[in-house]
Amino acid sequence: MVSTLDAEALRQSSLRYLWMHNRDWTQMAEEGDPVFIVDGHGVRVTDSEGNTWIDVNGGYNSVNVGYGREEIAEAAYEQMVKLPYFPNGTTTIPTIKLAEKLAEITPGSLSRVFAVSGGSEANETALKIARAYHKRRGDQGRYKIISRRGSYHGTTAGVLWLGGTPSAGRDDFEPMYPGMVHAPQPNPYRCELGGETPSECAVRCAQAVEDLITFHGPDTVAAVIAEPIAMPQGAAVPGDEYWPMLRQICDRYGVLLIADEVICGFGRTGKMFAIEHWDVEPDIMTVAKGIVSSYLPLAATIVKQEIADAFAGENNQLRHVLTFSGHPVSAAAALKNIEIIEDEKMVENSAEVGAYFKEALEGLKLDHALIGDVRGLGLLMAVELVADRDTKARFEPEAKIPDRLNEKFRKHGLIFRVNSEVLNIGPPLCITREEVDEIVHALDLSLWELEGELGVAQLT
Amino acid sequence: MTTTQETEALRRSALEHVWMHNRDWTQMAEEGGPTIIVEGKGIRVTDSEGKSWIDVNGGYSSVNIGYGRTEIAEAAREQMRKLAYFPQGTTTEPLVRFVEKIGQIAPGSLERTWPVTGGSEANETAIKIARAYHKRRGDPGRYKIISRKGSYHGATGGVMWLGGATGLADYEPAYPGMVYAPQPNPYRCELGGETPSECAVRCAQAIEDLILFHGPSTVAAVIAEPVSSSATAAVPGDEYWPMLRQICDRHGVILIADEVICGFGRTGKMFAMEHWDVVPDIMTIAKGVVSSYLPIAATVATAEVADVFGGKDNIFRQALTFGGHPVAAAAALKNIELMEEEGLVQNSAEVGGYFLEQLHQLKDDHESIGDVRGLGLLLGIDLVANRDTKERYPTELHLGERLSEKLREQGLILRATDRGIGFGPPLCITRSEVDEIVAGVDRALGSVEAQLPSA
Repeated sequence: MVSTLDAEALRQSSLRYLWMHNRDWTQMAEEGDPVFIVDGHGVRVTDSEGNTWIDVNGGYNSVNVGYGREEIAEAAYEQMVKLPYFPNGTTTIPTIKLAEKLAEITPGSLSRVFAVSGGSEANETALKIARAYHKRRGDQGRYKIISRRGSYHGTTAGVLWLGGTPSAGRDDFEPMYPGMVHAPQPNPYRCELGGETPSECAVRCAQAVEDLITFHGPDTVAAVIAEPIAMPQGAAVPGDEYWPMLRQICDRYGVLLIADEVICGFGRTGKMFAIEHWDVEPDIMTVAKGIVSSYLPLAATIVKQEIADAFAGENNQLRHVLTFSGHPVSAAAALKNIEIIEDEKMVENSAEVGAYFKEALEGLKLDHALIGDVRGLGLLMAVELVADRDTKARFEPEAKIPDRLNEKFRKHGLIFRVNSEVLNIGPPLCITREEVDEIVHALDLSLWELEGELGVAQLT
Repeated sequence: MTTTQETEALRRSALEHVWMHNRDWTQMAEEGGPTIIVEGKGIRVTDSEGKSWIDVNGGYSSVNIGYGRTEIAEAAREQMRKLAYFPQGTTTEPLVRFVEKIGQIAPGSLERTWPVTGGSEANETAIKIARAYHKRRGDPGRYKIISRKGSYHGATGGVMWLGGATGLADYEPAYPGMVYAPQPNPYRCELGGETPSECAVRCAQAIEDLILFHGPSTVAAVIAEPVSSSATAAVPGDEYWPMLRQICDRHGVILIADEVICGFGRTGKMFAMEHWDVVPDIMTIAKGVVSSYLPIAATVATAEVADVFGGKDNIFRQALTFGGHPVAAAAALKNIELMEEEGLVQNSAEVGGYFLEQLHQLKDDHESIGDVRGLGLLLGIDLVANRDTKERYPTELHLGERLSEKLREQGLILRATDRGIGFGPPLCITRSEVDEIVAGVDRALGSVEAQLPSA
């Protein structure tokens, strides 16, 4: 525990020197923030004042094995003592072993691994490979990338403009990157194309991707990129038709299919990779977060051998270099992390406890008129709050639902960040049923309080 | 040491599964597979067959402190045991101590740090800040970014187009708003300047001309490395940076110094901008900040720039999962602490000066050396077929490849291209290690020159 004096000095220092995500220093100063997290174990973390919190967000849906796994610290330490770094032009043992492991556990012929340091870089690499792949094959005109509205694929310029929402604030960074084409999101609860069942929505949204390809001209389209389940949409699970149709459409027009498993991968949805729910093999898969449970920065772009081989041969290599690519210490940590996920059957736990969690949330829906929808797969779940269940009407911004909820969750000991009426849940995969009960109980209390403040009629 | 059998199995696996930089797996297979580095100490690394190498590249000019510093491993382990990760929004102690340290050592009023995981992300963030800064101030038309031909600022979508490196045709179309200025390389001044000063003045003036031509109200920022490593350590004349600062001020343009390679002692100062006493509006750092022991980088802004994003609904909108990683921050802090304690910045200046002298002597013996240059331990040799015309060897002679091969035979990890050799060893290097390297380069150049048609 950091002493109180130290904590105050640190706080002043952070207000002056740190440019933090999603928070502003003037507001933090007024509110006595930021909180310092100093310690973690399983699904819980402790702050500098000794308060314990349940991390319902699991970092950024990214601490898959949970906090406090010293084995990973040991593996990283051992590698760092031996060799802390070497560039990826020669190579190192952990980099090789990690590539081998990823080839083994990813679906189908995905087997060539370009390792990087984060999800944005992994998706940037995927897009560069897709565009270059077509050029190497003499198909010069294919540069457009189709993504889905409401998806998120990263923050660097090549991927920032994929997906997106009106509230993302991207107007700060105009002009847009060239070649961005946006398709509808197959969110069955709010189907942009009016599909009334998950299937109907899935078929229409997949068909819309085909229509965009033919409208733009197949010889201008390089790739389609999509998360198997889009987290920013609140774990919107597409109908079962969606992914097999996307695969067929991409094949029909020679377009590469990129699955962004940055959030979904490594057990998050109850399978090692979410794309396995539909038995579809993408041409390129990107992974980050869960690959190393965020213990160190690492991510990867994994490519089918047939695609990678377009870059074989002298003077034909992909021109793409990042200093920290294939970092041996991060690779050693990731290998240990994957071993823990496998040995302790965390993927199975994600499926089982995830189902239990979802049932409990369905139970909450019976008591709370505010809950419009409960959805997700494994431990990637969401609760969507609505002003009116029948019309699915959203709250007015003046109701300040996110601010109110953030304050209540904090009071009830949950780290559970909310920035819209969609509450995203992504705890560590080691979570137990008892811990789920604790979270659901706190959520229940928070919703009662919110309903009281809003004067919402109670269902029971 | 790894057994021969294990090495062979690892090599096969690497050829099958690893997508490596700058190398292709079919060609590597023909050459017997990749070298696998297993261990390092100081400026030396050892491969899986027990062979020792001098890493003259210092990773990617990035292992500033040298290999084998277990103190950094201890610091990282300690933090990882306590708390391996926590996203920003709340924060962690090592992250705050790290940004506090950066705020203290960064020049002038550079003090607010946005932490990321690599140089590309740091430059992406700088450009996003620059564009958003103007929009927030009601100047929404400013989006163009001026960079210099031959510079390098990263590999992701927003920054790979800066500098306009070769090989970008694969990734067309380019990101909008890229404007290219000349590189102030005194040895090959694009604008015909005959002294470093003349070249510097003309190249700085060219930037002002570009701003005026495009219209100041369309230009967001100028980005430049203080000394460009990708231009083989071309040091601009002393007029260059002060002029750039004045020009940017005159036209309301943000000045971004990319200290990814130059920072943390590489050029004999903590930050290379200190050579000219110029404070940029934004500075980006990576590599040496942590000597590559873990991935971390940062974008550091002056309070004046950052404060445009103060206030609740006015935040800079960007999030990166691994931005501000507490373990990487703990490693970086220890790295900076060791560099300060051991006087590595001073060593870079002193041994770098000695190294440069030795390279000058080498020039006397080798006709193919057209120019020797650099600052501190960021050094370069410019290779020419003809000293008078400064003409380069024709590409079909594969000078870079041949020379790299010969350097390898000398036990040196040192990349050479058709255009030259760049040096960026760990800053802990000694004079006698410099002698070893220079002797190796001497022999390698000699044997390549013997094979080449005389100029």
